[in-house]
Amino acid sequence: MKGLSLGAILSVAYKEFLHIFRDRRVLLLLLILPPLFTLLFGHAFENTQLTDVPALLIDRDNTPRTERFINIISKDKTFRWKRAGPDFNRESDLLLNGVKASLVIPAGWSDSLSKGDPKPVPLYLDGSDTNTATALEGAVQQNLATFQAGERDLIVENLPDDVIELGKKLPVDIRKQFVSLMTAWSTDSKILYNAKSRFIDYVVPGIIGLILQLLTVTLMACTIAREREAGTLYQLMVTSLKRGEIVLGKILPYLVVSIVLILVVNLVTLLHFQVPLYQPTVLGLICLLFLLCSLGLGLLISAFSHTQTQAIQFSVFFLLPVFVLSGAFAPLEQLPSTIRYISELFPLTHFCRAFRLVNMYHAAAPFYLADLIVLFAGAVITFLGAAFLLKRIEQ
Amino acid sequence: MLKDLSKSFGSVHAVQNLSLTIAPGTIFGFLGANGAGKTTTIRMLCGLTRPTGGTAAIARHDVWKDRQFVRTQFGYVAQRFSIYRDLTVVENLRFFGGACRVPRAALEERIENLLRLSDLEAKRNTEAGSLSGGMRQLLALACSLVHDPPLLFLDEPTSGLDPVHRQQIWNLLYDLSNRGKTIFVTTHYMDEAERCTEVGFLHSGRLLAKNSPRRLKSNFRTRLLEIDVEPLMPGLVSLRTLPGILGVSLRSGSLRIYAPQPEKLIETWRQRWPFPDLKLLGERWVEPDMEDVFTAYSQGYDELLKESVS
Repeated sequence: MKGLSLGAILSVAYKEFLHIFRDRRVLLLLLILPPLFTLLFGHAFENTQLTDVPALLIDRDNTPRTERFINIISKDKTFRWKRAGPDFNRESDLLLNGVKASLVIPAGWSDSLSKGDPKPVPLYLDGSDTNTATALEGAVQQNLATFQAGERDLIVENLPDDVIELGKKLPVDIRKQFVSLMTAWSTDSKILYNAKSRFIDYVVPGIIGLILQLLTVTLMACTIAREREAGTLYQLMVTSLKRGEIVLGKILPYLVVSIVLILVVNLVTLLHFQVPLYQPTVLGLICLLFLLCSLGLGLLISAFSHTQTQAIQFSVFFLLPVFVLSGAFAPLEQLPSTIRYISELFPLTHFCRAFRLVNMYHAAAPFYLADLIVLFAGAVITFLGAAFLLKRIEQ
Repeated sequence: MLKDLSKSFGSVHAVQNLSLTIAPGTIFGFLGANGAGKTTTIRMLCGLTRPTGGTAAIARHDVWKDRQFVRTQFGYVAQRFSIYRDLTVVENLRFFGGACRVPRAALEERIENLLRLSDLEAKRNTEAGSLSGGMRQLLALACSLVHDPPLLFLDEPTSGLDPVHRQQIWNLLYDLSNRGKTIFVTTHYMDEAERCTEVGFLHSGRLLAKNSPRRLKSNFRTRLLEIDVEPLMPGLVSLRTLPGILGVSLRSGSLRIYAPQPEKLIETWRQRWPFPDLKLLGERWVEPDMEDVFTAYSQGYDELLKESVS
């Protein structure tokens, strides 16, 4: 749009800024919510490993061998064990026992191990949330493996001398293979891109995106709807202001506020959680594009709704799937591939991906260029849509 | 200024073939009942809604096609209070000044003048939402004047105001008219209609008459009969159903009779009063006022008027 006057835009922007400034509750929300959310989410997801899960242990065998196993598994911080006597038979009632798992060492287990026919150990798991059961099963398996290695070492140490003599007669290469089989095989893992495996490093763009999207979309959505509700929109339209000037003037103060919010959130993550920022200018550009996209969306909702109540309702309808499907807090790869197509529609998805590519992967531009283009296109489309809807009000 | 202007919402014809010209400097009172189409007409003239038929022009510029230019030529005070409540008086004036592209250098002086004119100097830093109804209206008026337009549209500027503030608003309008501004004001207060230099009657989207209040009043074919009856309210009800009477209205405790031949009526009444339960206490002839004009036009009492309504 040509012929827009900066003075006129600034008039609208100043007025809009006064609206924000006068509404003390919203102002308070803007100042307190972002750092609070950052601290809360940062600490909430600091540790993704399960610890101190209540679990029930019943030993119906009660031999020195089971004592050795219990000794090992008791040291695992994953569990907080409760013991029950061998006669207790309600082991499968997890709810009654107030535990997430119960492990039963069956009578004759030690004997079965000695006889070369190891009995499986019954393990009851709470599967209500999909992660816990598998994690706990894995932990028990690992402890069993440790126990097994220990038992093997014990047997090897106590082998009769003639067996050792016999072993020495074996060809060297076979003996070496045996030695190999007797030691645990392992990986030499190097964790890349998030060396300390801290969730906060991963979730920073999610937090920024969540807060920005929440505040910008809902606040922006109310701006035009509020004027419509108060009747001031017509007053605004009989002035010499052009639609472009109204739109830009309304966006400007929210843009400034949002940029301040981004700085606050990044400052908190940097100082409190020591999340470093790589290439701040590129990150800034990603944030800016995402912001414009969100503001445009808010404006679109605003031009679309007749009252503030409607504007808030539309915002919530839009934001709800975004939070679940955008991959802000969990990897997108957890979603089925068809749902992922829907995720690609949300600006937050592209923002989080681009932000992580830069900040965690230190990726070069070609890796995240597509996301930037999508964000830019989103901003343009929403702005044009809002200007078009505003034009319709005049008819 | 207006020619065959129409606006339909689907099958509802809000304004039909409205044609009128308003000379510069007039205070034009646009009268009509609620829903007659006054606000729709003003909104068309302000370029807020597209006419579905006909054209209208302000200073020879089409109000829809040239709305960007036309908007520099008028100020608009909407029926609903549409000033930002959370902004102070001065902030509102400054915003509308900026929005109407008043040069920064001239703006502050203009604001001071408007504050003085609207008597809001003491309230300059008060939030508009906490002003009284009358002051709000004065502020709305001041905001509409910030770019010094030659024409003012006022949509029921005094509705809901006390008589003191109504008087204040009207004094201001006289003052503006004196300075050569054209004022287009809708109202349904008949005493306000008397104050206009010209009045137009809108009824169901049609313009029934347009003239000065004096000419409209002289358009009555007859004088009006006013009688005193006791008891009053049963009298009103009985008289309304009497043949030969178009309508009866209550004025200051007397009954004003709208009838095509009031002389004949009073003649027969003097001979034989038809209501045994009612006492006729007095009778007199009165000159019609604007309320009578409004009643006659809006009720379609053609027989009372020299020029037919339809």
